Amino acid sequence: MTATRFLNAHLFDPSQSIDGLGYMDITGGVITAINLGTPPKDRTIERVIDCKKAMLAPGIIDMRVQSADPGSEHLESLPTLLAAAATGGITALACLPNTSPVIDEATTIDSLCLRASRIGGPRLYAYGAATKALAGNEMAELGLMAEAGAVGFTNCTSSIHDSLVMRRLLAYSHMLNKPFIQHCEDRALTHEGEMNEGETSTRLGLIGSPSEAEVIIIDRDLHLLRRTKARYHVAHISTRAGIDAVRKAKNEGLTVTADTSPPYFLLNELAVSTYNTAFKLSPPLRSEDDRKAVIEGLADGTIDAISSDHMPVDRDAKMQPFGPAQPGASAVDTLLALCLTLVHQGQISMTRMIESLSMAPASILDIEGGTLRPGGAADFILFRPQSSWIIAGANFISDSRITPFESHPVQGLVDATYVNGLAVFTRD
Amino acid sequence: MIKQGFTSNQLSGDGGPVALTSRHILGMEGMSPIEIRALLDRGHMFADNPHDSISDALRGKTIINLFYESSTRTRVSFELAAKRLGGSVLNIAVAGSSVKKGETLLDTATTLNAMHPDILVVRHNCSGAALLLSQYVDAAVINAGDGRHEHPTQALLDALTIRRRIGRIEGLKIAICGDIANSRVARSNIHLLGTLGAELRLVCPVTLLPADIENMGVSVFTDFEAGIKGCDIVMMLRLQTERMAGTETPSQREYFNLFGLDSGKLMRAAPNALVMHPGPMNRGVEIDSGTADDVEKSLIRTQVEMGVAARMACLEALIARSQ
Repeated sequence: MTATRFLNAHLFDPSQSIDGLGYMDITGGVITAINLGTPPKDRTIERVIDCKKAMLAPGIIDMRVQSADPGSEHLESLPTLLAAAATGGITALACLPNTSPVIDEATTIDSLCLRASRIGGPRLYAYGAATKALAGNEMAELGLMAEAGAVGFTNCTSSIHDSLVMRRLLAYSHMLNKPFIQHCEDRALTHEGEMNEGETSTRLGLIGSPSEAEVIIIDRDLHLLRRTKARYHVAHISTRAGIDAVRKAKNEGLTVTADTSPPYFLLNELAVSTYNTAFKLSPPLRSEDDRKAVIEGLADGTIDAISSDHMPVDRDAKMQPFGPAQPGASAVDTLLALCLTLVHQGQISMTRMIESLSMAPASILDIEGGTLRPGGAADFILFRPQSSWIIAGANFISDSRITPFESHPVQGLVDATYVNGLAVFTRD
Repeated sequence: MIKQGFTSNQLSGDGGPVALTSRHILGMEGMSPIEIRALLDRGHMFADNPHDSISDALRGKTIINLFYESSTRTRVSFELAAKRLGGSVLNIAVAGSSVKKGETLLDTATTLNAMHPDILVVRHNCSGAALLLSQYVDAAVINAGDGRHEHPTQALLDALTIRRRIGRIEGLKIAICGDIANSRVARSNIHLLGTLGAELRLVCPVTLLPADIENMGVSVFTDFEAGIKGCDIVMMLRLQTERMAGTETPSQREYFNLFGLDSGKLMRAAPNALVMHPGPMNRGVEIDSGTADDVEKSLIRTQVEMGVAARMACLEALIARSQ
């Protein structure tokens, strides 16, 4: 039980309103003290690390990650996913259950979490599939999965379409006190869609998916929620109408939360103009007005959290015309730097940004982390918000190297990532 | 993107091949009026002298027609155009080729590229496919139709047809009627005819109208007779069979009734209005036979004829650009 002191750090913890130079002590993987100013002499401290005024903040909790392992390990194995996440400052991640086999029973949750803990690195949590084989028809064993540690339930990349199934899933999740995570998309409107519908899709001759497809599902679910009372979470929200609906529901007192991802506040549909398939995402890149609405939603807290929405994609599946190309992109490596763009632009405060990456997802999933409070697990990062670099997929630790932010200049570099007081990543 | 500094002599039809800014012809969007006029001038001259050998610009050159969708007129037209300029032509129809065995577009492109063609003419059912191909081959690429996006040589031949009959495009009232949402011909014509100063109207059922198309400088009508009222040209588009019954249009009968062209409806257009259709026609669906075959009013056969001339101008310009 080595006592370690992180000295000369720019402490930043929204959960305790700490922002300033100070020190943090950890022992045995637990934070024991955190204070601004010069530390008192303490003979029990065995190791001192000079942070050289780097920012010390709670580790990032990435609540939406797709793991290709098990099933498509050639795209990305669990060890590389965890290593890439650690490089990006992520101390915990929650994986979607759309692996192969699908995580729709307790043993598969056990198996994934056990493997991750053997590999080491960031903490790995798993969602359980809401329906058997993600088919959207029959409820999976939510209770047994909850006992095995599922942090929530979701049908992954498709909405639950049958309203009766949805009602029961919400009610049952409520009984188990686990959040239900919905990808909101009315597939009847979008199943042929290739990009967001608008002038750009018309010019490019690509089939448009109307943005209303998102709010139609949100609205239906909110009506059901008034009856079932569950913890309902809208994943990667991307439209103004959807955000407005969530804002109203929160004001009404419903237990609704939402997250979004960097493409939806940094890019818009015009990026598709050259048919570059790196910009093919699900949900699709939206209009400029939607992009602004996402930033407003983040600023006022309507959108609680930011996730990477990491999805390993086969290069061959992207080397296609835009229509048949697979949606998705690699994202754990770049999450923090892309988020800080909004801080550097003065659109979101650093407090709100760090909160949306740590405290908010911890609270939505009801897991530890997201804070530097003494007594809590020492999951934190050291980063330099001003350090600039240029995003290059080729340099990703992740095996999946397709990013819509290729060649983007960003500011914000992670120096070290600690999980349970142990460094899982340090930059040389 | 207007390239400055051309003299009219360099660009005129008699002055030899047209100078293009791009090494491919992928679409009409962004092509300058100067380039378009030059291609039309040159096409005009080829059309005037269909059998004389004015140019052997493609002698010793290889042109590959790579067609992922079936086509008779476009493919034959490109083949004839290339042969009249002295080129060797290779036709690859996708049925029966390695593409059927699962080879991807880019693998096919790489394979063909290794055979060093000078020009690749490609038709594909995906929007953006011609652009994608152009990024992976050394040859100049001509888009012979990519999904719902563009079909630039069709727009050029349409414009050439109109110019030969009426003498100008500027100021003409032109109605483009039918399945706009799924039509690459419509998009290329909107760009080309709009760039040359025509007044464009789109006439179609609201279910076949793509989003925000008004922003492309056109006015939109869902009443057929109001839409073609006073128009100099009525350009009909083909309605795909699978869209004739379903949620886009309820039936062939209703479509013809509301949006099909017959001699009675044509009375609403300008007194000497002309009728066009890119083919192949669905007689009795979007156009009745009497109107389609009316030699006084229908330009449909001339369109096919002009296809060769317009494509000769394109092939020649790309070869000149590559030398």
